[in-house]
Amino acid sequence: MDCYEIREQLYAYLDGETTVWRRRAVARHLEGCPPCLEGYTLKVTVRRVVAQRCQDPLPADLESRISALLAAEAAD
Amino acid sequence: MADQARFEEMTREYMPALYSHALRLTRNPADAEDLVQETYLRAYRAFPNYQEAGALRAWLFRIATNAYITMYRAKQRRPDERDLDGMEEWALHGAIGGLEAAAAARTAEAEAIDAMPDEDVKRALEDLPDVFRQAVLLRDVEGFSYQEIADITEVPIGTVMSRLHRGRRKLEEALSDLAVERGLVPTKEPAGA
Ligand SMILES: [Zn+2]
Repeated sequence: MDCYEIREQLYAYLDGETTVWRRRAVARHLEGCPPCLEGYTLKVTVRRVVAQRCQDPLPADLESRISALLAAEAAD
Repeated sequence: MADQARFEEMTREYMPALYSHALRLTRNPADAEDLVQETYLRAYRAFPNYQEAGALRAWLFRIATNAYITMYRAKQRRPDERDLDGMEEWALHGAIGGLEAAAAARTAEAEAIDAMPDEDVKRALEDLPDVFRQAVLLRDVEGFSYQEIADITEVPIGTVMSRLHRGRRKLEEALSDLAVERGLVPTKEPAGA
């Protein structure tokens, strides 16, 4: 695979959702190609940042409001 | 009617994740609370028929996705998905290891993105078109597999992959641009894909 093809595979590679053959080909390519490795590093970073920065605290009373909602539903 | 106590005990732990997800989808706390309430109400009604042992979390996210679509359909932005067909089959494979950890060759751009405040990251995500945002959240925040996302959003796996691809690429561009705008990197480097 050339650089273009490799870059098309990077997300599936990142997600661990690729064939064993492709996985090996991408890993081998990244070892020897700094520009593709940089692109991959950016993708890894963005994914990690998204995973870590998107937790929001649950509003304090939401759970009890849902509980009341379900109780009312059960009483119907 | 389902046993309320049992239902709450089984589903309680997913509420924070569902709320964060709802907040990213609706972009405001009041709507996010409405969406989570609607999700739990629908799930409770459907709970007597719930049979997918071990897939409770995915089941709840599917209900949330459907609730979101019915509650906010009018506001939905539809991306162009004409060229989604003809994607090849992908064999599922386990989690990756090695190179991700070894990708220590960090670019200035990646470092700048790493240092961005939460609000910048959230806003960049919230600016993504709806279906791209959903796919990215379900994969990158919730860690669902492509197949699970296909089931949750009720589209073929090729569509999931295409949405993820485009959503992530847009997000990378947006965050890279923001890094340049903020003067966190000297010049704009190519994003690498
Ligand atoms: Zn290359």
